[in-house]
Amino acid sequence: MPPMQEKPLTKPLAIRLDSIAKNYGEHTVLKNVSLTVREGEVTALIGPSGAGKSTLLRCINLLERPDTGCITVEGSRIDAGTNFTTKDLAALRRNVGMVFQSFNLFPHLNVLRNVSIAQERVLGRTRKEADVRSLQLLERVGLADKAKQYPSRCSGGQQQRIAIARALALDPRVMLFDEPTSALDPEVGLEVLAVMKELAAEGMTMVVVTHEMQFARDVSDHLVVMANGAILEEGHPEDIFTDPVQPRTREFLRAVLER
Amino acid sequence: MNIFTDWPSYLPELLAGLGVSVQVALLSLAIGIPGGLLLAIGAGSKNKLVRVLIIGVVEIGRGTPALVVLQIFYFGLPASGLTLTSMAASVVALAATTAAYTSEILRGGLQAVPQGETEAAGALGMNRKDTLRFIVIPQGFRVAIPSLIGFAILIFQATSLAYTVALPELLSQAYSIGSTTFNYLSVLLLAGLMYAAITIPASWLTGRAEKRLAQHL
Repeated sequence: MPPMQEKPLTKPLAIRLDSIAKNYGEHTVLKNVSLTVREGEVTALIGPSGAGKSTLLRCINLLERPDTGCITVEGSRIDAGTNFTTKDLAALRRNVGMVFQSFNLFPHLNVLRNVSIAQERVLGRTRKEADVRSLQLLERVGLADKAKQYPSRCSGGQQQRIAIARALALDPRVMLFDEPTSALDPEVGLEVLAVMKELAAEGMTMVVVTHEMQFARDVSDHLVVMANGAILEEGHPEDIFTDPVQPRTREFLRAVLER
Repeated sequence: MNIFTDWPSYLPELLAGLGVSVQVALLSLAIGIPGGLLLAIGAGSKNKLVRVLIIGVVEIGRGTPALVVLQIFYFGLPASGLTLTSMAASVVALAATTAAYTSEILRGGLQAVPQGETEAAGALGMNRKDTLRFIVIPQGFRVAIPSLIGFAILIFQATSLAYTVALPELLSQAYSIGSTTFNYLSVLLLAGLMYAAITIPASWLTGRAEKRLAQHL
């Protein structure tokens, strides 16, 4: 692969994916995809279903293990082609938070425990310390009053905001979002997008797989268009939205924007 | 008819027997269910050898009648130099059967926990052990509890098999009263009612447990 061109005055890299390949049997999901994300940058991954966007995102914290390729996140490097230890994996995940399409809260724990448990087990915080931090974060996503409720008593939008607080509780340096609003009503999705915009404005490094074109256009600093397991084109969102280079990108954008 | 009239005179011995039966059942469950949980977790191991071994143990445990397991422990083991009391043999045999059966019940419960939650725990940096302990097992157990209560009732009834190794549990006591009074019908009827007096309320519990545990899932 040719080295990424270094622009002057660019921020350091937060994430670097080198030639990530992934097959499920005969089916190729990712074809040697390389991607870099800079500190404080919001990268949006868009493209048709089955393009490999979510798989690529899940490769960043190795929820999905690529067949080959290298993943570097905030200095922790894992070569997927070789054996790595659970310690290496823990080191890499230590800096990465993730938010899922279906929230994946723990239904048997109340909201506060959902946000606190990993802080206690992973960071070794005491219950009291963890709860203080959790309440701060719940406050920030506007849900401090739900702390003692169970997730099933919260709306989808609230659950997703709790999931964001849960991920932030471990002080990640990078946040991954896997279609965070796809399971929500458009109106409810807005409250989640608002939290994400705030996070972006505070300088969090984010990678977002999304079908929210407005968000991709307005909030992201870098847009990546994927199709058939490869990156079609990437660049400044405004450039791609107004003048896509690839005919396939043009086709996709027409389909999602003109409806 | 003196079927009912002699019941008061049978009661002290039968109650003592019932106490032994309950004790055997509780001990077997207390040892067998944690054993079943370990087998259930092991059956999901990444190591294929471990998995095959455990599935083998479980299948043999489930395939062998509890009565045969009991006879092996009581009459068979002394040949290899290990002699167990009738109490110990009964508890060990029923605990082994419990472990084999409940491992399947618990495995179903653990598998009912959505994979997304395990992924979320992994993404939060929780290791496999913590994920099992705090996320998967508590929820898997809740799912399994109604079936576990059902199985506990069966094991309580299976304690009657221990009469074959001369353990003075409820059936042995009834049998020995019968053999001296020849009033088998009367005493066995009473013994049967005493088993039912435990099992029927226990099965009501299952329904209530199901309702309560369905909350927050």
